[in-house]
Amino acid sequence: MDTVIDAHNISKVYNKQTIPVYAVNQVHLHLNRGEFTALVGPSGSGKTTLLNMIGGLDKPDQGNIYINGRDITQLSANSLIDFRLQNIGFVFQSFNLIPVLTAKENVEFIMLLQKVKKKDRDTRVKQLFKEIEMEDKINERPSKLSGGQQQRVAVARALASKPQFVLADEPTANLDSKSASNLLDIMDKLNKEENITFLFSTHDQRVIDRARRVITLVDGRIVKDTSIVSTSHNQDKLNY
Amino acid sequence: MAWRNIWRNKIRSIVIILSIAIGLFSGIALLALYQGMMKGRVRNVIDSEVGHLQIHHPEFKKDYKPEFTIQDGQNILKRLSATPEVKLAVPRSITAGMLSTPGGSAGVQINGIIPEQEYLASQLRNKIIEGNTFNPEKKNQIIIGKKLADKLKLSIGSKLVLTGIDSSEEIVSAAFRVCAIYQSDNAPLDELNVYITMKEINRMLKIGNEFHEIVLILHQDNLVDTLSKQLSKLFITAKIETWREISPETNLLVKTTDQYSYIILVIIMLALAFGIINTMLMAILERTREIGMMLALGTNRIRIFFLVLLETFFLTFAGTPLGIVSSWLVISYFNQKGLNLSGMGNEMMKSFGFGTMIYPEFPADKILNVFLIVFLTALLSCLFPALKALRLQPVEALRR
Repeated sequence: MDTVIDAHNISKVYNKQTIPVYAVNQVHLHLNRGEFTALVGPSGSGKTTLLNMIGGLDKPDQGNIYINGRDITQLSANSLIDFRLQNIGFVFQSFNLIPVLTAKENVEFIMLLQKVKKKDRDTRVKQLFKEIEMEDKINERPSKLSGGQQQRVAVARALASKPQFVLADEPTANLDSKSASNLLDIMDKLNKEENITFLFSTHDQRVIDRARRVITLVDGRIVKDTSIVSTSHNQDKLNY
Repeated sequence: MAWRNIWRNKIRSIVIILSIAIGLFSGIALLALYQGMMKGRVRNVIDSEVGHLQIHHPEFKKDYKPEFTIQDGQNILKRLSATPEVKLAVPRSITAGMLSTPGGSAGVQINGIIPEQEYLASQLRNKIIEGNTFNPEKKNQIIIGKKLADKLKLSIGSKLVLTGIDSSEEIVSAAFRVCAIYQSDNAPLDELNVYITMKEINRMLKIGNEFHEIVLILHQDNLVDTLSKQLSKLFITAKIETWREISPETNLLVKTTDQYSYIILVIIMLALAFGIINTMLMAILERTREIGMMLALGTNRIRIFFLVLLETFFLTFAGTPLGIVSSWLVISYFNQKGLNLSGMGNEMMKSFGFGTMIYPEFPADKILNVFLIVFLTALLSCLFPALKALRLQPVEALRR
């Protein structure tokens, strides 16, 4: 199996000077290409912190994180920015689209940063909007889109750079059931058809139900790592 | 994107754009007003005070001694009159003397003139506010300035005595009667200069048909320096001076006024810079999360810096055409109609040698500098907000 993420013994400590709080405590995590994984746990369990460290947004106080064999904990802040641009797609809870840009421009934004040629950008944008089934909304500003549509555009943006994997922090938290279901269908399809690796942090049972691996985090430690053999919901869960 | 960003908060951006336009309008209007005033002052100096060039005996201006007439003056005058660049070459005999009346006395500069020529050279006829010009039928007439007339309580027909020293250093006096009172835009000169005919002063000073000064009026202002150099080589026994040398205070005023205008413009723009900084800081604060997201997605900090820089530039330069065009329209109107500043004090303006009717000139030659000042303002204004944006950490920014 092709390893994408390999986190070794990583810890993140807050309040080091007073009473240390371990947001993430000696976590080992290994993700292969094409996995569709949910990171679950109660509030304050360290899901977002772990996701931020894997995404190169935050640095661990201990341990190493290898993305495609490269240790990102050793990269400088500027190198990390470039690394994120080329390797990681992000989907945020509150969509975080740029309000002054159209849906198309939001998706193109990443490719512009990557200096992708206009012709290639246009092709990719067309393909992505087809995949998220929003070809008719391509020139709309985010304010004209529903929450679910905005999150689909955010997924398209995350995929525009052809990343190694996509990190999604509570992607369905602000969506109604139908929108959440649509979004998960799209991500599921992209995962299966294009073998894109997804790692979600979530509370949402709908996401957990769709995931093929569920990692449970409590007090900064992985307490359960479950893989699901079948794609059918809630079937054949295996405990490690 | 930067252009769209500045329109996120339309009212805030419009207010700052308008304030830049008004600031620029004020700055350019001030430049135009000063330029108009200075041009008016220079025109006064050239057209009615000293001319473009003056020629004297090299020693004359040290003590104004009557014997220092221009050597071979008549011949020089003839040659100058035939010079193509020269519009007018007018001789004057000059001495320093005392003007006495039963009511008092004052030190004056007595100018002996050929009336018809002088009227063209210094527009003396146009400055007369009371009485009439020299009557060829009458003798011993004098034209005095209003300020001197007021000081010594002289009026048309008043008698006075002029006393001076002749070429053999003897004290000489003659009685004159006021035929006219003039008023120029330079009150101190009005108090100093009195005019009699050259024939009469030459008789008093015993200098025959010689004279002390030739005033040259040229066809074009920009011929001054080249002609001055040519004449200096041509007439080596005479001293040739440009209006800048004769009236250095005017030259200094012209130079320093430009600098003062720029200083005022810079102060206006500096004050506006705080408004721009405030607007941009608000914009950064409102978009902390968005900037965090951009950093997270892989936008490097240089791009973020340039985004803030561009937004500041757009915000600043959006007001620039408005400020320039509106100032151009207003200045063009007043350039045609004139701006009457007599309300500021007729006497005060004249005491500094300025006319009360100003014709502001659009400072087209300074617009590049105005742009440079606006550019520097934008650059200065963007630095603090841009640094604030650069310091954002994506994780912290996304949490907000």
